[in-house]
Amino acid sequence: MSFLERLLKIDRKIIFIVMAVLVLFPLLKPLGLGVSSGPRAKAVFDAVDAIPPGKTLLISVDFDPASMPELYPMLVALMRHAFARDVKVLLCGLWITGAGLADKAVTEIPPEYGKKYGEDVVYLGWKAGVDAVILGMGENIKNVFPVDYYGHPLDSLPMMNEVTRLRDIPFMVAISAGTPGFSDWLLYAQSRYGMRVGAGVTAVSAADAYPYLQSGQLTGLLAGMKGAAEYEVLVQRRGYSNVYMPAVAAMDSQSLAHIVIMVLVVIGNLAFFATRRKRR
Amino acid sequence: MRRSLPLAICLGMGILMMIQFFVPHPVSVAFYDLTTKWIRIVSAFALVLGVGSLILYHTDRLRRQRPGWAYSIVTLVALVVTAVIGLAWGVKPGSPLQEVLFKNMLVPLNASMFAILAFYMASAAYRAFRARTKEAALLLIAAFVVMLGMVPVGESLWHKLPEVAEWVLSVPNMAAKRAILFGVALGAIATSLKVILGIERGWLGGGKG
Repeated sequence: MSFLERLLKIDRKIIFIVMAVLVLFPLLKPLGLGVSSGPRAKAVFDAVDAIPPGKTLLISVDFDPASMPELYPMLVALMRHAFARDVKVLLCGLWITGAGLADKAVTEIPPEYGKKYGEDVVYLGWKAGVDAVILGMGENIKNVFPVDYYGHPLDSLPMMNEVTRLRDIPFMVAISAGTPGFSDWLLYAQSRYGMRVGAGVTAVSAADAYPYLQSGQLTGLLAGMKGAAEYEVLVQRRGYSNVYMPAVAAMDSQSLAHIVIMVLVVIGNLAFFATRRKRR
Repeated sequence: MRRSLPLAICLGMGILMMIQFFVPHPVSVAFYDLTTKWIRIVSAFALVLGVGSLILYHTDRLRRQRPGWAYSIVTLVALVVTAVIGLAWGVKPGSPLQEVLFKNMLVPLNASMFAILAFYMASAAYRAFRARTKEAALLLIAAFVVMLGMVPVGESLWHKLPEVAEWVLSVPNMAAKRAILFGVALGAIATSLKVILGIERGWLGGGKG
């Protein structure tokens, strides 16, 4: 068996080890490749930046722990941006597995800016029936969520006196790992109530969001970990935060992972064509 | 009667909801508000169907000793344990459901499953991603451009690469994507009309009467 033939039959464990080492290395010793911000992330940032202080940003947490590394940094960066500008944050979710993740953000981020639950941030939680939930929120949020995630009646939360339906919210970002997600917010909240919608999605589903960007239905897009890193950079550049940026740090690992896959594909193709020629 | 009554409800509600969308009268808004409440109630019953279907499928697998039947035991035990803990201690923050099942079991398991994907993708791409035809070669080049353009190292190699990746996503990809979406939307409209008019009856479950 020639070297090229052996290369084609390489044990998958070797590929796994190479991948693991190259992904772990930058996490232990960052390469500092740096991230520049693209126009899609800038559009989301500008939309949040345009919300007047005292008004509300709605964030829909539509993801699960599997997509948490890509999407959770977006949620945290958006909340930091809003709180730094005295914008109130209302959270809800269409995925039950995302309920605990949003709770983590609601517990950890507002205290950084001295924000109080009920006055500056409210978390509605999850409710079954995607379309009915969004349509119901368009009419009256309290009809759909009489109590918040923690069991407080919405009437007892001062922030909810000014936010009764979707038309009271100038902008929302749906952070989605699939369906239900941003497309449902476009379908019901954007088309029916004229709500401005931005999206944060995983890298693999970013292509699905592009048609809605050009049509103007989506205001902006945070695509994958790169989108999260771009937003973190924008937030930090404006001086809204100066804490550790997890998505920026993870981009070094992602860079190396992409290069590993590309090198493997090139080697695989070279070996395949060389052995094919030999067989002929 | 068992077929004609659901068909009549479907026809009536389908037409009423279509009219409602274009009429902003208070009566229409009240009707719409009532309907969304009903949808929420009806959709809650899907849970009963889902749990019932899951139990039937896995008990059947166990009875027939199909390959991988042991995993059905895990599924059924997990279903019962989750339900019992949820019903007994509630689902509020700080409950055993949140602290033990969600934070300490679901989050790490779910994250591990996704993390393993990167390794399988690398291995699968190495073995299967071949430029056998012109189309496959084109796909390979486009994939390389987008993969490099989406990470900082791509920009370090050539500062225009993110723009090229953006062009691939927003021009050729979008053209194909939009065509697919138009097709899907037209198909959905046609199917909805067939359901409302009673031409498509698959949703009735095929029962007689």
